[in-house]
Amino acid sequence: MSSIRRIHALAVNTVREAIRNKLLYALLGFGILMIASGVLLASLSYVEVDEILQDVGLGAIRFFGSGIAIFVGIGLIHNEVDRRTIFTILSKPVSRAEFLVGKWAGLTITVWLQLLLMGVAFVVVSMGAEATLRPEHALAIAMIGLELMVLVAIATFFSAFTTPMLAGLFSVGLWLIGHLSRDFYALGQQAEDESVSRAASALFRVMPDLEVFNKTLEAVHGLPIPLAEVGMAGMYALGYTVSTLMLGAMIFARRDFK
Amino acid sequence: MVADTDEVVRVEGVVKDFRPGFGLRRKRVLHGVTFSVHDGEIFGFVGPNGAGKTTTLKILMGLIRPTAGRASILGCDVRESEFRHQIGFLPENPYFYPYLTAREILDFYARLSGMPSALRRRRIPELLERVNLVHAADARLKTYSKGMLQRVGVAQALVHDPRVVFLDEPMSGLDPIGRKEIRDVILDLRAAGKTVLMNTHILHDVEMICDRVAIIVGGRIRHQGPVDAFLPEADVTTDVVLSQLPADAATRLEERFGLEMRGLGDRVELRIDDKHVGDLLGLALGAGARVVSVTPHRRSLEDLFLSTVRAPEVGPASGGGEEAA
Repeated sequence: MSSIRRIHALAVNTVREAIRNKLLYALLGFGILMIASGVLLASLSYVEVDEILQDVGLGAIRFFGSGIAIFVGIGLIHNEVDRRTIFTILSKPVSRAEFLVGKWAGLTITVWLQLLLMGVAFVVVSMGAEATLRPEHALAIAMIGLELMVLVAIATFFSAFTTPMLAGLFSVGLWLIGHLSRDFYALGQQAEDESVSRAASALFRVMPDLEVFNKTLEAVHGLPIPLAEVGMAGMYALGYTVSTLMLGAMIFARRDFK
Repeated sequence: MVADTDEVVRVEGVVKDFRPGFGLRRKRVLHGVTFSVHDGEIFGFVGPNGAGKTTTLKILMGLIRPTAGRASILGCDVRESEFRHQIGFLPENPYFYPYLTAREILDFYARLSGMPSALRRRRIPELLERVNLVHAADARLKTYSKGMLQRVGVAQALVHDPRVVFLDEPMSGLDPIGRKEIRDVILDLRAAGKTVLMNTHILHDVEMICDRVAIIVGGRIRHQGPVDAFLPEADVTTDVVLSQLPADAATRLEERFGLEMRGLGDRVELRIDDKHVGDLLGLALGAGARVVSVTPHRRSLEDLFLSTVRAPEVGPASGGGEEAA
């Protein structure tokens, strides 16, 4: 219980810190601008106007939300070490794992708040353009929230032991791989060499599969999103986040703060 | 080293190697450091820059892992975190979140220490008053001077009323009034039965408030023991200034006590062993001289520190150092 209280205190402080990050507002501003620009793009087409508008909107939410998760997340631990604020925090009865989880939780909450704002912008733009809004749109945005939770965990993991520059490179790399891992897996399965297909399978298990959280197509075209799929995606996000944070905590526990 | 029941901090044979970069050779910064701090004392940890003071303190705080040896606080291994509600730490040149106020940052640290809200509401105003920050309690820390931040640092170290307090250069950046206030806080801690370990360069403060001291040079403890034991009575000398001392009397005094007198106009200045001061003054007054001043002069900790730092290293791992009686 006291561990939860400590994580809560760290998370609240991380939210306070993150909402002062100017990069976050720049990305949020561009995100909202991009959602609004869907109206312009949709006006260029005679068919599927609503679909284009909402496809662009959900794409912008995913892209800029991911940007916030990665680029704010990569400095999360590094800044604490660099400014030496971590010295006084770890001198209190706070374990390094609690510190890491507190930072992750704080940024996840911040990213979800930005997601909510972008979601509101999406609804306003859709209503302004008289596009149909369905519960699937809300589900698709919630799935993006799960993806962002995983991304924050990945950025926190790299931030725990490397510089923001490298953490940024690694996180963006994993984000790209995460959206292409199914394609890599499918390619690997078609290879004649068995070792290549085995390597592709192993890689698919280790790398994040972020396409699990991509329900834009279903939401835009009015296709049903089964709740079981949402549940499975939630379990996957939780599992991947916990594993990533545990691995990060193990590495972080061995670090010296000179 | 025999375990002592009132030992609060115990550092035993601690070695620390750092690797400056990939492929580079390891550099040893601590060579088997051994010392202990007893319950209720103020312990001064003294050494020149780069001696290993802060590294040792970081090992005690669990921020750095020792390469070899072990360190414990209140019988608990320093790698654990649960016992840390019993310790407070002020790092050197502390930095805090600039967007928080002093009241908010103390509340944050109090929460991390697991203090219930009723206790936090009572304790935080008390501490703000103790470190003289009531007037700026609700101002953002980015507006604070270095001295004010240092006082916030002291307050956060004490917010949860710890049993053992570790201070890394607590007087750093403070003006004379600020130093006096922090000195008083440290003395109050001792009066309340707390134990304090203090890293410092300011030897005057060590002499004034510390019960025991350890001198670390080049990652090795060179001396440790009670402060008074470093300043034995035998080392006490007295500076005497006389006026109107006749020349023949001056010659007699020089011969009798083996002195060297320095002339200062119609005055002479001399330094004499403390135990001969009475005889000298009797003879001088008898010869018609007047006494201008008598100033006892003790070998200071600074003298000892400088001679220790300048002395060549002895032995490959003089971890425990020389224990002063």
